[in-house]
Amino acid sequence: MNKHFSSASSPEENGGIIFKAEHIIKEFPNLRALDDVSTEIKRGEVVFIVGPSGSGKSTFLRCLNLLEKPTDGKIFFEGKQINCRGIKINAFRQKVGMVFQHFNLFPHLTILNNIILAPLKTHRMKRAEAVSKAEELLKRIGLYEKRNAYPQQLSGGQKQRIAIVRALLMNPDVILFDEPTSALDPEMVGEVLALMKELALGGMTMIVVTHEIGFAREVADRILFMDHGRIVEEGSPEDFFSHPKDPRLKDFLSKVI
Amino acid sequence: MNAVLSWFQEQSADLKTAFYMNFIKDDRWIYLWSGLKITLQIAFFAVLIGILLGFLVAVIRSTHDKVGNLRFLNFICKMYLTIIRGTPMVVQLLIIYFVILSSCTDKVFVAVIAFGINSGAYVAEIIRSGIMSVDKGQMEAGRSLGLSYLQTMIYIILPQAFKNVLPALGNEFIVLIKETSVSGYIALQDLTKAGDIIRSQTYDAFLPLIAVA
Repeated sequence: MNKHFSSASSPEENGGIIFKAEHIIKEFPNLRALDDVSTEIKRGEVVFIVGPSGSGKSTFLRCLNLLEKPTDGKIFFEGKQINCRGIKINAFRQKVGMVFQHFNLFPHLTILNNIILAPLKTHRMKRAEAVSKAEELLKRIGLYEKRNAYPQQLSGGQKQRIAIVRALLMNPDVILFDEPTSALDPEMVGEVLALMKELALGGMTMIVVTHEIGFAREVADRILFMDHGRIVEEGSPEDFFSHPKDPRLKDFLSKVI
Repeated sequence: MNAVLSWFQEQSADLKTAFYMNFIKDDRWIYLWSGLKITLQIAFFAVLIGILLGFLVAVIRSTHDKVGNLRFLNFICKMYLTIIRGTPMVVQLLIIYFVILSSCTDKVFVAVIAFGINSGAYVAEIIRSGIMSVDKGQMEAGRSLGLSYLQTMIYIILPQAFKNVLPALGNEFIVLIKETSVSGYIALQDLTKAGDIIRSQTYDAFLPLIAVA
């Protein structure tokens, strides 16, 4: 497995826990999206978050890299609290990749420039190094020929794979996926899932919000089921699907499988 | 038939004399030429100041709207926009010439400042609309990659916003060039003033004004 496809190895501290969320509460006007959510994500773990729409799973994911600020509760990243004053939020986010439902590629830049913009501007790489790494990754996913194309010339599946590569080039410790296949045509879903699976097997720490239950079963180390802003049940895929305990999870599984 | 023809000949002969009187005699076209130069000069530098001011104000205003900080700067910008857009250009020009920059003798400079400040207010709102037209996922994507707010603004949001507002911006600059015609109020000989001078010498209004337009 290629070295870019695995988590950057740093000295293992605090038991290899990357993310720790303690009693996260997120309130929007007239809505409590997250209601006392606590969990831990270990290095190298692939965690899937599933649940009905409006259950707070995307909000939780966005809280983890502070795109949403939690109303209350603490989030720790590699042992340090991040949702407090005086934290270097940009340096923190450079270690946390994010892949969006609607790709959010930069339409005014070519594919190559989309990928190398962040490493260059954050001074993580020199141009030559960034270009050669980006080209290497593009070759791996078979989109090298598209490096000088613009995002609107690509299919949805290609765009999402570029978005994943863009996150990867920052060499993050963890990547957050926010419904990465929900905006794709059915025939494009497979190529994105294949790349994600490759990442998971390569040891990348991943937190994935998705409706692809079958994919979660196949790839996840652990699955969280959320409903009404709470984690209702969690467990290994086996327990999760064979012996669901909570009636809401049973109900959910009966609908989606 | 002949009557019509001779009427036309008469008219064109008149026009020829009028043209000679208004533009050729005493080298009066030089008024227009130097007026044109001054008008373009003012418009060009005012446009530069306008874009600069506009970008600055637009970024401050939209940063305030999105993030919620910069309250004081935002207040200043709002005052600026309200005052400049709420008062006539001529009055602004006179105030700047006679009150604020009364010690300055370079009229072109005064006009450039006045028109620049005026245009900045309009450009600011145009650019702000452009910034708001960019999908908010773009900002999230930039920030999630570890870029700062300012970096995301400069490398991701503004280039897209700029492209979206180019037509409106073009409009604004055409308006600005025409608006410079009021700079005669501070005794600056721009294109309109040049037309006035010719008119006062020849008592003919039609040709000079057409030429100015």
